[in-house]
Amino acid sequence: MTEKNIIELKGVEKRYGSFLAASGIDLDLRQGEFFSLLGPSGCGKTTVLRMIAGFQEPTQGAILIDGQDMAGVPANNRPTNMVFQSYAIFPHLNVANNVAYGLRGRVPKAEIDARVTEALEMVELGGLHQRGANELSGGQRQRVALARALIMRPKVLLLDEPLSALDKKLREQMQFEMRNLQQSLGITFVMVTHDQYEAMTMSDRIGVMFDGRLEQVDTPATLYARPCNRAVASFIGEMNILPATVLEETGGMLSIEAAGFGRMRIERNVNATDRARDIIVGIRPEQLEIKADKPADYPATLKGKISNVAFYGENIHYHVAVENIDKPIAVSVPNYFHTVDFNRGDAVWLGLQVASVIDLGKERKSSQREKT
Amino acid sequence: MKRPSLLVIYAFAYLIFLYLPVMFLPLFSFNSGTIVAFPIKGWTLDWYRKLGEQDTLIQALWNSLGVGAVTALLATAMGLFAARAFVRYRFRGQAAAEGLVMLPLVIPGIIVASSMLVLFLFLGLQPSLVTVTLGHTFLALPFAVSILKSAFDDFDASLEEASYDLGCGVFETFRRVTLPVVAPGIVASILVTFTVSFDEFVLAFFLSGNQPTLPVYIWSQIRFPAKLPNVLALGSILLFASAMLLVLAKYFQRRSTTRDV
Repeated sequence: MTEKNIIELKGVEKRYGSFLAASGIDLDLRQGEFFSLLGPSGCGKTTVLRMIAGFQEPTQGAILIDGQDMAGVPANNRPTNMVFQSYAIFPHLNVANNVAYGLRGRVPKAEIDARVTEALEMVELGGLHQRGANELSGGQRQRVALARALIMRPKVLLLDEPLSALDKKLREQMQFEMRNLQQSLGITFVMVTHDQYEAMTMSDRIGVMFDGRLEQVDTPATLYARPCNRAVASFIGEMNILPATVLEETGGMLSIEAAGFGRMRIERNVNATDRARDIIVGIRPEQLEIKADKPADYPATLKGKISNVAFYGENIHYHVAVENIDKPIAVSVPNYFHTVDFNRGDAVWLGLQVASVIDLGKERKSSQREKT
Repeated sequence: MKRPSLLVIYAFAYLIFLYLPVMFLPLFSFNSGTIVAFPIKGWTLDWYRKLGEQDTLIQALWNSLGVGAVTALLATAMGLFAARAFVRYRFRGQAAAEGLVMLPLVIPGIIVASSMLVLFLFLGLQPSLVTVTLGHTFLALPFAVSILKSAFDDFDASLEEASYDLGCGVFETFRRVTLPVVAPGIVASILVTFTVSFDEFVLAFFLSGNQPTLPVYIWSQIRFPAKLPNVLALGSILLFASAMLLVLAKYFQRRSTTRDV
């Protein structure tokens, strides 16, 4: 990865009548990175991808690819290629002709043949040249779609929910394969997904979108550790949210009074820019310790009662009801000893290291998409 | 064994009622007598043999084939663009446009025929095969549009986008993706619209002038009892050919809709 920007979005907005599909999108993508646009369905992430591809024009703002303004440049003249959610394999062409589609009539035949063979080997479909489009499995269709786009040697490869049509096992395998492919080719990949795990495992950086806005752009680790607000925190993994009051702020630290756990000093989260005296804090379920007796070695403890147990195999999730806190607190415990230690109704203690309390800033009202 | 239900009996009675009269046509075409009545006098293939000798009949057949072919191409070409627009885009007045295209299905033929005759005469177009073709295109268009709409319904729009994305412009995409993918629908539409034109009588009667199409010619021959068995033989051949065309059209239409696109 270099510091060169391959794609720049400057104040991009897409409006359909009174509906803002995307607004105020400012985003720089670096040459050679794997970038994911993550968000729930309808958040505008596909609209952003399609504007980069050239299928839709922004109603405001500019899109630059490799320094060139793409305004008025149609999809067929852009240095991007796309893997569609449905894969869009041409049903009347065999695998080789599908892959060769974009080169036909533009490149000499001998070169096409060589590049098709090379592309098919790259996606591990070597020898399937003559296979008909309707004789392919879901995974093979995805590989054909990848080969067909990559053979064009795009500056940026766009992927629209590329794994959503595959079953779980295949999806996990393809995540690693696509990540490896991207790193060996050094091409910038921009992927749209609603699956946080997919985004986390594959991406260098993730942009999280809600209601047409880009909320936060960061590495997976930073997004997990320092989400900018409640929406992002809850979308990336699970998060217990507690109200808190700021008593004092000094040198990047906050003294707070958190519901249930009481007073503590936590780090001020630089990503959470919405500030107020009343804030919310987040605690990841795996950061909490659950004990039968009051733990001595934890600075903050809390007494509660198990309201629910969910067995996940590698983890066990407990929901602990605590007095004066509306929602039960979720605790995730690794399943070391293959036993469920607590049952519903058991009285337990929760222990917490202060470092694992995340400042999420001011609670924002559920954002209404701007309408005019 | 299960007793056939009332519904099955009803269905068979229905089919017999519908097709028995039609079956008399081939039956009497093999009758050696010239009077169309039971009992049948004897069996002969003479009426079929004599068909080839009738020059005006052959001319009428060529007229019909020509009108049918041009109609099929015109209606299918126009229907192709209309169907794609109706399926792909959402635009103001779409419902009205679709309704208008389908209207010829429900307007009485005699109204269409007489108003078209008035219109063409007003425009200075004398009744001829050209005016018949124009009229038939109008009649066949709804058939073409509805067949091609179902072909486009099953056509993933991202196929065309993928083609643009891979560097092709609008025309190249239409030629390399749209046309081949909806090709079975196009063939089905050509066959059906051809049949619509080939069998059509009322419009052709009003608009053909002194260039009769086959149905118009047949109608003119029915007045001469001696020619009747000949007409029956011709009718039987047409019946068979039309049925074959429709079966073929159905086959292509099914291919266009069941294919995994």
